[in-house]
Amino acid sequence: MNPAPKDDSSRKALEYSKFYGGKVGFAPKVPVRSLQDFSIWYTPGVAAVSKAIEAQPELSFEYTGRWNTIAIVTDGTRVLGLGNIGPEGSLPVMEGKALIYNYLGGVNALPLPVRVKSADELMGFVKALEPSVGGVNLEDIESPKCFEVLDRLREEMSIPVWHDDQQGTAGVTLAALFNALEVTGRELRGTRVVLYGAGAANVAAERLLVEAGADPKDIIVVDSKGILHPEREDIDQLMLKNKWKYELAIRTNGDRVSGGLKDALKGADALVAAARQGPDAIVPDEVAVMNKRAIAFFLANPVPEMLPDAALSAGVEVVATGRSDFPNQVNNSLLFPAVFRGALDVKAKTITDPMVIEAAKELAAFAQEKGLRRDYILPTMVQWEVYPRVATKVGQAAISEGVARRSLSPQESMNAAMAAIERSRRVMSALRNGGVIVDPPE
Amino acid sequence: MEIRHARKDDVEALSDLIVRTKRLNNEFDPLFAVVPDAKARAERYIQSSLAAPGHLLLVAAEGKKVVGVLRAEMRERIFYEPHQEGRITDLYILPEHRRKALGDEMIQQASAELKKMGAEIVVADVPAQNEIANRFYVKRGFRALINQFAKRP
Repeated sequence: MNPAPKDDSSRKALEYSKFYGGKVGFAPKVPVRSLQDFSIWYTPGVAAVSKAIEAQPELSFEYTGRWNTIAIVTDGTRVLGLGNIGPEGSLPVMEGKALIYNYLGGVNALPLPVRVKSADELMGFVKALEPSVGGVNLEDIESPKCFEVLDRLREEMSIPVWHDDQQGTAGVTLAALFNALEVTGRELRGTRVVLYGAGAANVAAERLLVEAGADPKDIIVVDSKGILHPEREDIDQLMLKNKWKYELAIRTNGDRVSGGLKDALKGADALVAAARQGPDAIVPDEVAVMNKRAIAFFLANPVPEMLPDAALSAGVEVVATGRSDFPNQVNNSLLFPAVFRGALDVKAKTITDPMVIEAAKELAAFAQEKGLRRDYILPTMVQWEVYPRVATKVGQAAISEGVARRSLSPQESMNAAMAAIERSRRVMSALRNGGVIVDPPE
Repeated sequence: MEIRHARKDDVEALSDLIVRTKRLNNEFDPLFAVVPDAKARAERYIQSSLAAPGHLLLVAAEGKKVVGVLRAEMRERIFYEPHQEGRITDLYILPEHRRKALGDEMIQQASAELKKMGAEIVVADVPAQNEIANRFYVKRGFRALINQFAKRP
C-alpha cells in the first residue's frame, strides 16, 4: 500500500485555488431592489438598529448576522503536518475550513489568520473580536500555547471558543472509540487506553475520556520521551513548562508503568496515536503485545503512524486513521460544523466538555444505526443527515448545561439546524445553477 | 505518611531526590547547570550528612517509599546575633505528594529539631530565580536575609 495520498489533489488544489482566487467570499443576505433600499440597509435607517443594539447589546444576535457568524483564528504556528508556516501560509487551510463550516454546518465562518508574537497578543485579538461574532474556532496553534489560550478564552469570553485540534479531534476520537469498544465487546470503564503523543488532541482526549467515564488510572500517556509518570526525570521541567502534561503524568497511569510505547501497550486494549508521521512511527512488534481484540487509531496526517494493513496483520481488530482512503476516518469535519450549528442555534455562551461528549455519542449512535462493522465505526462526511442530528444534541446539551441564551425543544433545534444547513446547500446550488460558480477547467 | 530521620538504606532514594532539586534549580537559572556525575556526588553528600554531627536529614516516607527529603546543618554566625543558625540546604518532595502540606510538616519538624540542636534562627537556601521555593518560604513567615549576586569573571 502506498503511504502517500494517491490522488492528484495537490496539483488540483494549486490550479483551482488560482482559478477561483480563493475558496470563500462574502455574499449578501438581503435584496437590493433599487438603490433606495440602501436607506434601509445603511444610513439613515440603520441608525435605528444601531440605537436598539446600543440599548441592549444582546440584540446584536437578532438584528445582525452575529448569531450565525464565527471567526476561524490562527497564528499559523502549527498548520496541518507542516509546522510553523506563518499566517499567510495558513490562509488556504482556514478558507477550506470556512467552506466546510458553511456547506456542512450552514455557519458563516470568517478565515482570520493573524500576525502575533505572543499568546497574550493572540488572546487580546480574539477577545477584541467578541462583539462581531457568535463564536470563535481556534485553529492550528502550537502546543502548549494552545492549552493556555483555549483555557483562558473559555473563561474570559461569553461566546463559544473552540480549538478544533483539541476538542474537535478528541470528540471524533471519542466517538470512534465508543463504537470500537462496542465492536470488540468492551465497556469504557475498565478499558486500558494508551494515548501516544501528548499534544493538543490527546491532552483533550484524556480529559473527555475521563469526563465520559474512563478511569484516569487506566490511561497511559506516552510522549517522545516515553511513558508519562510522576517520577519521570523531566517531571519538574514539565511542571514549569507544560502544566497540562505535568497533570497528566500525575493523574494517569495508576500502575506507574515506565518505559517506552511497547511497555505501555503490554496489556492495553486501545491505542490512540496522535504523534508523528508514519508509516513506521509505530511498528508491528509494539502493537502485537496489546490485548486480544485490540483497537488502534493512527491519526497522524497525511501518513498514519502505522498503516492499517500492518496493524491488522499484527493482530489489531479495529483500526482507524485520519485518512479518507482507508476505512474508519477519524475526521474533525464530522464534528465541528455540527457543534457550532447546535451552539449557535441556542446562542450558547460556551461549549462545555459534556456538550462535546453528547456530540460524540450522537456520531456513534448514527453509525450504530447503520450497522457497525470493524471497518465502519464512524459516519462518513457524505452522510450529511448526521450534522443536524449532532447539532440538535449539542444544542440540547447546552440548554441542560445552563449555557444557552435561547431555549429550544429538540424538534426546534433540529428544525433550526436543518434550515441553516439546507440554506447553505441551496445557496451553493443557486450559485452553480446561475453560473456564478462555474466548474473548474479540465 | 511518616516523617523520620534518614537511615543508611535511604541513601539511594535520597540522592535521587537531591539530584532532582538541583535539576529543578537549573530550570530557573543556567548558573545551576547540573554536573554529569551529580548522582554519585549526591550519594556522597547524603552519606556524609548521615554521619556528621550538627547535620539533620529528614525523610518523608509512605511505607517503604521515600517521597521527600529535608537536609539541614548547624552553622555559626560569628559576627552576628542570633549566633546559632540552623540552615536548611535542601528540600524536595515528589510531585504527586505536593500540595498536601507535607513541606509544612517537614519544615516544622526540622525547626523543632534544629532548635533542640541549639539553633536560634532557621535559614533556608533557595536560588533567587526559583520563584516556587521563594514563595514557599515567604508564605511560611520567612523573609529574605542575604542577596547573593553572581557574574562570570
